Order: sequence, then structure tokens, then C-alpha cells
Amino acid sequence: MKKFSQLAVPYIVWSAIMLLLPVLLIAFYSVTDSGNSIVNFKFTFAHFQKFFTDSSFLLILWRSILIAIKTTIICVLIGYPVAYFISRCQERVQNILVLVITLPMWINMLVRTYAWIGILSDGGIAQTILQFFGLGNSSLLYTEEAVLLGMVYNFIPFMILQINTSLSKMDKSLLEASADLGANHFLTFWKVVFPLSLPGVISGISLVFLPAVSSFFIPKLLGGGQFFLIGNVIENQFITVGEWNFGSAISMIMAVIMMLSMYAVRHVEARNSGKRKEKKA
Amino acid sequence: MDQSKKLIQFRNIVKEFDGQIVLKGINLDIYENEFVTLLGPSGCGKTTLLRILGGFLDANEGSILFDNEDIANKPPYQRELNTVFQKYALFPHLNVYQNIAFGLKIKKISKDVIEQKVMRMLKLIGLEGYENKNVTELSGGQQQRIAIARALVNEPQVLLLDEPLGALDLKLRKEMQYELKKIQQEVGITFIYVTHDQEEALTMSDKIVIMKDGEIQQVGSPQDIYNEPVNRYVASFIGESNILPGVMLEDYKVRFDDKDFECVDFGFKTNEKVDIVLRPEDIDIVPVSQGKLTGEVMSVLFKGVWNEAIIETVPGTSVTVNMNVIKNRDVTSNVKSEMISANDFYLDLEDVATLDEKEIIARADAQAWNPETDSYISITSIEYDIEEKVGEYDVVFKTASGLQVTRKIIVVDQRFVKNEKANEAVSAFNFFKTVDEIMESVTLDTDLKTWANAQGWKLSNEDEAVDIYVDYDFDPETIKEGVYKVTFSTTGRELKVHTTDFVEEGQEVGLTFYPEDIHVMEKMVF
Amino acid sequence: MKKRYFGKFLMFLMILFFYLPIAFMVIFSFNSSKSLTHFTGFSLQWYERMFNNSAMMESLYTTIIVAVIATIVSTVVGTIAAIGLSKSKKIVREIVLQINDFPIMNPEIVTAIGLMLLFITFGVERGFITMLLAHIAFCIPYVILSVMPKIRSLDPNLADAAMDLGCTPWQALVKVIVPQIMPGIISGALIAFTMSFDDFIISYFVTGGGVKNLSIMVYTMSKRVNPSINAISTLVVAVITVSLIIVNIIPIIKEKRQKQNKTMFKNKKTPIILSFLAIATAITLIAWPKQSQVGKYQGQTLHVYNWGEYTGENVIAAFEKETGAKVIMDLFDSNEQMYIKVANGEPYDILVPSDYMIERLIQEDLVQKLDKSQLNCLDLINEDVKGLPYDKNNDYSIPYFWGTVGIVYDTTKVSEEDLEKEGYNIFRNEKYKGDIYLYDSERDSFMMALKALGYSMNTKDQKELEEAYQWLVDCVTTMKPEIVTDEIIDNMVQQRKALGLIYSGDAAYVMSENENMGFYMPETGTNLWSDAMVIPKNAKNVELAHEFINFVSSFDSAYDNSSYVGYTSPNIEVMDELSTTDFEGINAYTPRSNNKNDEVFVYDEDTRKVISNYWSKVKIAASNAQ
Repeated sequence: MKKFSQLAVPYIVWSAIMLLLPVLLIAFYSVTDSGNSIVNFKFTFAHFQKFFTDSSFLLILWRSILIAIKTTIICVLIGYPVAYFISRCQERVQNILVLVITLPMWINMLVRTYAWIGILSDGGIAQTILQFFGLGNSSLLYTEEAVLLGMVYNFIPFMILQINTSLSKMDKSLLEASADLGANHFLTFWKVVFPLSLPGVISGISLVFLPAVSSFFIPKLLGGGQFFLIGNVIENQFITVGEWNFGSAISMIMAVIMMLSMYAVRHVEARNSGKRKEKKA
Repeated sequence: MDQSKKLIQFRNIVKEFDGQIVLKGINLDIYENEFVTLLGPSGCGKTTLLRILGGFLDANEGSILFDNEDIANKPPYQRELNTVFQKYALFPHLNVYQNIAFGLKIKKISKDVIEQKVMRMLKLIGLEGYENKNVTELSGGQQQRIAIARALVNEPQVLLLDEPLGALDLKLRKEMQYELKKIQQEVGITFIYVTHDQEEALTMSDKIVIMKDGEIQQVGSPQDIYNEPVNRYVASFIGESNILPGVMLEDYKVRFDDKDFECVDFGFKTNEKVDIVLRPEDIDIVPVSQGKLTGEVMSVLFKGVWNEAIIETVPGTSVTVNMNVIKNRDVTSNVKSEMISANDFYLDLEDVATLDEKEIIARADAQAWNPETDSYISITSIEYDIEEKVGEYDVVFKTASGLQVTRKIIVVDQRFVKNEKANEAVSAFNFFKTVDEIMESVTLDTDLKTWANAQGWKLSNEDEAVDIYVDYDFDPETIKEGVYKVTFSTTGRELKVHTTDFVEEGQEVGLTFYPEDIHVMEKMVF
Repeated sequence: MKKRYFGKFLMFLMILFFYLPIAFMVIFSFNSSKSLTHFTGFSLQWYERMFNNSAMMESLYTTIIVAVIATIVSTVVGTIAAIGLSKSKKIVREIVLQINDFPIMNPEIVTAIGLMLLFITFGVERGFITMLLAHIAFCIPYVILSVMPKIRSLDPNLADAAMDLGCTPWQALVKVIVPQIMPGIISGALIAFTMSFDDFIISYFVTGGGVKNLSIMVYTMSKRVNPSINAISTLVVAVITVSLIIVNIIPIIKEKRQKQNKTMFKNKKTPIILSFLAIATAITLIAWPKQSQVGKYQGQTLHVYNWGEYTGENVIAAFEKETGAKVIMDLFDSNEQMYIKVANGEPYDILVPSDYMIERLIQEDLVQKLDKSQLNCLDLINEDVKGLPYDKNNDYSIPYFWGTVGIVYDTTKVSEEDLEKEGYNIFRNEKYKGDIYLYDSERDSFMMALKALGYSMNTKDQKELEEAYQWLVDCVTTMKPEIVTDEIIDNMVQQRKALGLIYSGDAAYVMSENENMGFYMPETGTNLWSDAMVIPKNAKNVELAHEFINFVSSFDSAYDNSSYVGYTSPNIEVMDELSTTDFEGINAYTPRSNNKNDEVFVYDEDTRKVISNYWSKVKIAASNAQ
């Protein structure tokens, strides 16, 4: 099989250049202080210092995480029942439903978010419906609710699909065993189905939380200019302010946070699935 | 039998799947404290019946009474029975203790009571100390026992087991069979056990239910089923047997293979046609003079526990024909590079009417080809003039270029040999072949059968074929022109015998058995 | 069972939720008016505009081509790499897979910036190629991620069995391994396509030279209401839906045909590729760039970098027609955004920066002097906008638009008294809390604050700047403003809020659409600004650039520009004409030139940095105050 391993060589070279090097460059910029070129440099942690000592930045980071958490929770609360429903359908229906849910994902994310602007703007459909129900007259666009809506809308399909996969792969005889042992439908769900579906939920969470933390155009489009999340800060530093070093420092911080979260998630997943690895004694 | 309570009653259970009727009206009673086995091949409906009892399937028709109460509408978690699943279905996210305690927890039994019961169970199945282990890390046998414990700890009245030992290796399986029986007797509940392994059924059951195609064939104790199988199907399903056709002359007297024997069966009509079962282990090998039957040893297989010997008690029917070996009489053309060849052949009087060109070419083995390229040339015309009378007729084969060869069709009355006793007949024809054809043949026995059109069939049913084998005295490698005899015969009657004696192939032996070893069964109606 | 009904109801709601925006988009793409809230009638005008907007069609075309190529390349490379990696030494595999995870794990923006830095460092000119390379780079990891599990679950004996029967390793690969992992390959390809088609952030940062994909197009167009976006979105939806249906129906047809013993396609990939190629071809035919014009400059291309929505409808087309050249126009949101690209060497022929930015560009030697012998428009320009401090002799720049900054207000809600009394301080008047727009521009916001405090807007005094910063922070925390840019235009037309900081040109447009709106310039002074055309030092087509300047400054083009955009034209005749026709009675159209408190921005690097940093913090404060 020696020959086969050679197949990977071109990619190794490619990934070193296109994937590894950029990250190194960002890291480099984050610890140097030379404006926008690489001619002369000296190492400094000033940028990191700047970020961590300024409470407003930390507050933004916290808000971004908070919104991501809210988004994730909503996605789980709504996504789980939907995924459960789908998994209980016949296979043919399941496939159709999955297709129906996946279809919007194929349409450009920006385009979909933009559509919400129209619906949520003052005088638009959403407001009309709310007025109809007597729920008040407030502006819907450019609020945190609008941003949450946009995020949930974009990310919930991932959650649903992950949970659905986990549920439908479940061994049906476990459900029978549970019923056989006296558990009614609710107990069977709570004691057997739900615990076994957790890996799906966890992987769904990682597909929602992480992108949500760093998203920047959803807050910009639906939240307005005053909705400044950490992603916007980075964009702002690079595009408008021109402080590439500071921007790189913040990027590094984001990357580290993400990586730590991913490892945590994977660790939990591995522990769970380790329980399920079959070893012959 | 003591009057134990009827615990479960199946009344006319019918189940249909996708247009196929899987259970055709099952009626069955199951008593307290019984070990009942549902036995049958895949697809006979045994698992379906079990699942209907468990509540995982609904019957289309019929009722199930449990303790005189109809439970058809009760969901599984309300039925007082528990199931041990084929693939165990242990909860992977719970450890051993939690798995076993699952049902108890649902019933909201207090913690210390649960602990007592679970620990007792672990002791019963021999897995003390394993409480905290991860179920997925255990071996098949251990998982099996936990599955049983999980079910038993709930003290159900009935335990359903769906082929629970299928995934275990032989030795472990045998151990578990013993264990299960012991547990059943110790705990004192009804076990309903599904399997396709008849040995397993015989070992463990109090009562066996043999099923076939959705119907119950026989219900009885292992001894009853083994010794008094009600029909051929049951007989061949349980244990190895020799099944022979015979005639019941009168009560206690049966006739087969041209001999009368004393037996212990009665209640049949006089001269009723029956099937007879002789178990191989019931037949003993004795000197020729002492045997009720005699025969020749055809083969011996060492099976460890015994030798399995095949004894031929009635020789088969045979017919001998002439094989005429002739020189190549291929005809070569002078004009084009062509050759043509064909053989004379025999034809049965009966087949003259339906004779056509295709058959003539096949029987005569007529071919035309280009010897340089070896490519085939088609035979464009066949001329023949034949009557439905015994005699010799000419047939001419021609190619497009006019190359031709003339051969004979010899019409005869078929040669066959009848054997009324054995209810069979054999027939074959004389035939012509060239030296080359014989030497080039790869599977000579098969070819000889084909060339001679040799067949064997049952006299009672012409469409039923009987295997024939070939015997001849020449050496195919060195054969020359001439006439040779070829014999085709059937096998006759062969009996399988399990013996610890040492016998050799070709040996003449005597066979003996007791009257009670002859089991007479009704002939099955299809 | 009760649960079933609940489940079905939930499912129904969910589907409604998913498709509401899409339905909305489709319906409103046929709207006969510009509104996003009221459906006034059925019309295909947006589709017409979309097809005529070659930039839009090109962006769609770019998106599809990039997605298709990236998918194909990344699928092939990814699959081969995955197979190779599965047979490599464990440590090699672990390391590569770790690196592979970077684009997936990192926030997209980090990946984007990394790639941008990469291209800049190596001096790779950014454009279609860099976008394609970037897409391939982030797609391959998804393919590998999809294929690896399948490879891992393969029976290791399969390849051996194949070779035992006489296959070469390559044949074993193609005939045995690949078919087994095909489901993984297909799902990897589909994911890759979606990621590429959808991508915004990465494309946004690594592209250049006017190459845009659909997402970038939508993003830049989303500032102003433009229902053509709905039209193009509907088109995309239609195409995707049809493709998905095709892909899902084909297996069913294949089954039926196999029963009749006919086989259609060998594998599932072929129909997908075919259908997309078909679509791509269709789009190509539609969007095929119009025939090169005939003219003096035939075959040449002019790269223009301009503000969004800053040219009249026909100006560019007319220029192309007259000169025979092709114009590629890139759009920017802010001077700073433009500056970054220019400073990094992006080649443009014409830029249209604002006054202070021109000053900076001149200081940093990024623009070249104009060849006045080639210009014929100087006499057409209003004296009030010539010879301004940033370019005293118009050596470098020719004005494009000019105006002031002021307050747009709802005359029914805001009293003139308050305006006159408070000037810019009205933005701190709690009477209007939650009812104001601030402009997302550090320049103008600080100008407003400094003017409100009575300081010069060009001050270098740190204390004054800090005061202005504090003023702004207080404003955003107590007044809860919405901080917008071009959204203010349509929103004020709709009378959404009481007050807003606005450019005079935009105000002119607003007032022409809604007569309840007014425009006020505080007596304490405001900013007099102008945007002008300059030619960067690295321009490739200097002669053509001069032609452009002449053309745009001439009456017809200047008229087209000014009437469409609403900003005041530097061309005297045009300004006079429009102020008596289209913009009659609209004071916003004619900048005032007699108030000595009005100032023009002066560029200072240090102050700029300070203000920049302050403004970030103001926005953060605003965000935290929500």
C-alpha cells in the first residue's frame, strides 16, 4: 500500500500553503507591530493586552457568546421536536422532509437573510401579523430579536439534521425492550431515546454555536450598525480602521476560543461513544 | 399430567404481511411452569407468533387469552410478560446494574428492594461484581445472561425468548441451554422459547410445537415428537431419519421393501399407504445371517461419536446398452475448405412423430466447419424420410456449397427396465460415438448419460425423476473402435446407520432393529 | 394519538418558517413598485432590470462557475488525498487532518483574513483566480471529512482481493475502492458546492479587480432597497429547486428503466454535473457580455472604483458606447475601505474619494497629477467647488459631486425651533429618544459632536477630541439611535424616524420623494464636502481615465448623475437646471456657501487614528447599550 500513501503528498503541500500558512500569518501579525507590511517587526503582546484590558471589548465578546448561546438553545428547543417527528415517519416521508428542510440551505445565505429584512421592516408582513394579534407596534428590524431570528433561521437545519441522523440510527429493538420492561411512550423517550440521541444534539450544538459566535453579516444586516458583535469588530478593524495587527489579535483570540470549544465537544463525544464501542472480551 | 393452569391460550391467530399469510389460524395452549419451544425453519411464523404475544405485533384475527383475559389490545408495557431479544437489546448508555434494574425502576420500586433483587439476579447468572461494567464491553455470553437477568428480575409470569442463543459458539450455546433450563426450573415460570435448532428444542423443552408455513404440525413432548412424528415433515425435522414408503397391512404389521415387519403402530386402514421412519441409531449392524435386512456397505463417515454408514439393502434398477465406437467419418470437401461430420443415432418409436430438424442435428451431433479457421459453417439442408415403424432410415446433411454426408436414423422401441418393487424404471439407448469424441470428453459419466439419453423415473409418477449412475468397463484414454457395454442404474434403497462398530466399504452386513423402532406415519397430503 | 397531531402541526409551522422568506422573495420579485412591504401589482420589471444589469448576471455567473470548478477540483483532490492519508503513517495523518480542520473550526472571518494576508504577502493579484483558489482551499476539508469515515469503514481486504485477481493498484483504486466510498464522495461534493455557492465572507476578502460573487453583490446592493435582488434570488431558488428535483427523480427513473433493462447513467454524479453544466451554459448565454463596442478605445478596459449607487442609470453605458471601451466598476462603502485596497496596490484607473481622503492620497503619493491638456471640463465646474484646500489647483482631482452634511427631519414631528436652538445638540434631546438615525461614519459623527460642542471639526486637540468622544458615547447610550448608512435614505422616505444625520444629496432625494421631510444645516456650522475623481499612480489606462473625467463632467452625464442620485452636480449648468426642475424648493440640493462656520475636512493621520479608535468604541458602547 505504499503507493497509495503517496497520493496524499500533493495535498500535504497544498494544505501547508493554503491552510497552515494563513493561520501562521495571522498569528504573526497579532504579535507584531509594524502597520501593514512585513518589512521590519518586533514582537509585542500589546494588541492582546489592548483587548483584554478594555472592558468594552470584553463586553462585546461576552455579548457575542451570549447571543450564540441563546441561538443554540432556541435551535435545540425547536429543532429536537422537529427532528423527533421526522425520525418517526416512514422512510420515504423522512427523505422528503429532509429534502424540504435542506432545500433552503442551498440558497445563498445572504439572500435568505436579506429576505428577512423585507419581512421584518416596519410596515411589513411580520409587523402586520403582530398588530393583528394585538401584540404591539414596535419596530422589529434592527433589534436583538431580529438578529436571533436570522441566526436561528440560518443554523437550525444543521441541528435538525444532526439530531435526526442520531435518532434514526437508533436500534429499534431498544425501544421494544424498553416497552417490554414496562415503560410507556413517555418513559421510553425520556430514559432511552433522549439519552441515546445526545451525541446528535452535541454535534448539532457545535454546528450552531461556533458559527453563531463569529457571524458578522447577520448582525449587520438585521441588527443595524449599532449591533456590533465580535465578528463585526474584526471586520471593522481590517476594513475601516486599518489596524491589521489588532484585528489579527482578536482573530487569534476567536480562533483559540473556537478550538477549545471544539475540543471540549469532541472530548464529550468521545467519552460517550467510547461507552458504545464493542470490544470482545 | 397434573392439571396446571392454562396460562396462555391462542385462539385462531391469523397474521398477514404484505399479502402473504404468515400465520394461518394458530390454536395453542400453554400451561404454567412449562418450557415450551416453538420450533421450525425460517419463515414458519414462530417469531411472529412470539412477537404477537409480546405485544410488538397485532394479529389480524384471533384472540390471545392471558390468565383468561384477552390481552390483544394491551400495549407491551402492560403485559405481564418479558422478552429476551435475539440481539439482547441492552441499553448502551446504562451499565449492567442499571440495565437490569430498568424495569424495576419503572415500577417505582424502592431503591433497597431493587438492589436486593438485582444482586440476586447477578448471582443467579454468575456475574457478581459486574454491576458497574459497561455493557458494550462484555462478551456475547455475558450480554446474553444480562439480557435474561433484566427480563427475569421483573418476575414475569411468562418469559419469551427469541432465538437467544443464536449468536453464541457451540460450546457456550450448550452451556447456556443447560443454564436456561436450570433457571426455568428453579424460578418456576413459563418459558416460551423460539428456535430453529431441533437439538436445542429437544434438550430444553417440556413441550415442543413444530411449525411449518404458519401452521402447527405437531405439539408434544420431545419423546413423543421424536418417536411418534405425525408426518414426514416432523420426522425429517427432528433427528436424522430414514423415511421409506410402505403399506400398513393390518394393525401392528407393516410391509416395506418387499418384506413384512412387526411394529407397534395401529389404527390405520388395511393396506393403507404410509410413510415409515427408522432412526439411524436404532439400526444395529449384525452378521448377515442374523439381519432382518441385508445389504452392502456403500460408504462410511467418521463422525466422532459414531460412524455413519450407508447400507444398500435393495439394489437399484439398471439397464445396459451398447456403445458403438467408430472411426471418424468426417467428410471433407474438395471445392472449398470445408468439413462436415455427423453420427448415426437411435430414436425411440414414440419420438418419431415429434422429430424435427433441430433435434436431428443435436442427436446426430451434425456439424460443419472450416478446418483452417475452425469457424462454424451452417448446415443449410437436412433431407430425411422417416416412418413410425421400427427400422433404419437415411438422413442427409448438406452445407451451402453442396458438401454433404449421409447417416442413419435407427428407430427402435425403447429399451427400459421396470422394477415394480422399487417403484422405478430406467431406460437408455444404444448410441454411436467416435474415438475422438470419447477421448475429448471432460465429464464422461455425464456425457454417457446424455449420449444414451439415459433416464430414471418413478413408476407411480412418471414426472418424478430418479438419480442414475453410470458403470462401464473400458478405459476412455485408450479406447478403440468396437462395441462396449455401458450400464445405467438407480440407487435402490439405502439406509443410514449410526454405529460404533467398524465397517468397511463393500462389506456385506445384516441390519436389525426392534418393532418399536419402526414408526409409521400418515402419508402427507400436499 | 395526540402526539402525532402536535408533531404534524409543529412540522407545518417549521416548514412555514423555512419558506416564508423564500416565498416573500419570490412574490415581491414580481412587485410593480420598489416597496418591500406593499404589494402593488404584478410586474416583470425587476427581472428585466436584472437581466440588463450585466454586473448582476456576471456575479451570478461567477458564483456558479466558481462553485462548479471548486466542487469538481476539491472533490477529486479531496478524495485522492483522503485515500492517500488513510494509508499514510499515523502521525502524518493526524497532523494533516488537524490542519485540515482549520477552515472548519476557525471563524470564517479568520480564514478569510488569513487568505487575504497570504495573497498580499506573496503579491498575488487578487481576482477570479484568488477567489477560486480560496474556495478550493476551504472546500477540500469538507470533502475529506465526508470521505474519511467511509474509507475507515472499508474492508481492508477489498483492495487486496482486487489486486489478487489481477488489478494494478490504480485499477483497484478506481474499480473497487472508489465505488465503495461513493456515497461519501457524493455527499462531500454536495457540501462543497453548498459552501462555495453560499460563501460570502471569504470571497469578500480575497477578491479583487471587480470580480464579485452573488453574495458580495447582494451585500453591496442591500444598502438601498433594490428588488432586483429578489429577482435574482428567485432565479437562484428556481434553479436550485429544479436541480434538486432532477437529482432526486433520476434514481427513480433509473430504477424503472433497469426493470426494462435499459441503463441511463452510470453513476449519480453525472446527472448532477450535467444539470449544472446545462444551467451554467444557459446563464452564460444570457449573461454573455454584450458585444464589444466599436470606438476609439475599443478593446480597452477602464477600472473605476466608486461609491455605491453613485452613477446615473445610463452614464456608464453611454461612456462605453462613445469610446468603445469596457468599464468595470467596483463599489466601496467608505473611503477607508477604498483606501485599503488602493494602498495595497489594487490597480484602478479612476477613484472617486472624498476630500480628506484625496488629501491623504496626495500626501502618500498614491495619485498622479492630471494632464490638464487632456481635460476640457474645468470651465464647466462651479467655482465654489474648485480650488478647495485639499487640492488647491485641481492638479489631482476634478469634482464629481459636492454638498454638505446636515439634519434630515420629519417636519410633522420636529419643531424648527428645537433645530435652531440646539443645532446638532438636538441629537441629545431626550424628546426624540429612540427616534434618531446616526450615520455610520467616524468622520461625520465626530464632525457633528465637535460642532455641537463648538469646536473645529479639524481640531487636533486631544482634550477636545475626547470630549467629542464622550458626547457621542452619551448620545448612543441615552438616545438609543439606529446607526445606519444608506438605509437612512429609504427609511426617511418612509418617515420611519424623526431625525437623522444625512448628506445633503441624500436629503435632496428624500425630500423629493416625501414632502413632509426637511433639511436643516445648523448655524454653528457643518461640513462642506466634495467627492472628486482622481487617477491613481498605478493606473493602467491614463488616457482613457482622462476621457472619463471629461465625459462625466459634461452636461448630459452630469445631469444624468445628479438627477438620479440626487447629489449636487459640480457642473454649473446642471445644478442650475435641476434646482429649478427636479429639485425645486429643496434646499438640500443647493449647498450653502456663505456660512463661515462651515468647514472642509483636513486630513491628519494621527487624528484619524484617534478618531477611528474612538468611533469603534462608540459603536461598541452603542451595542452594549442595547
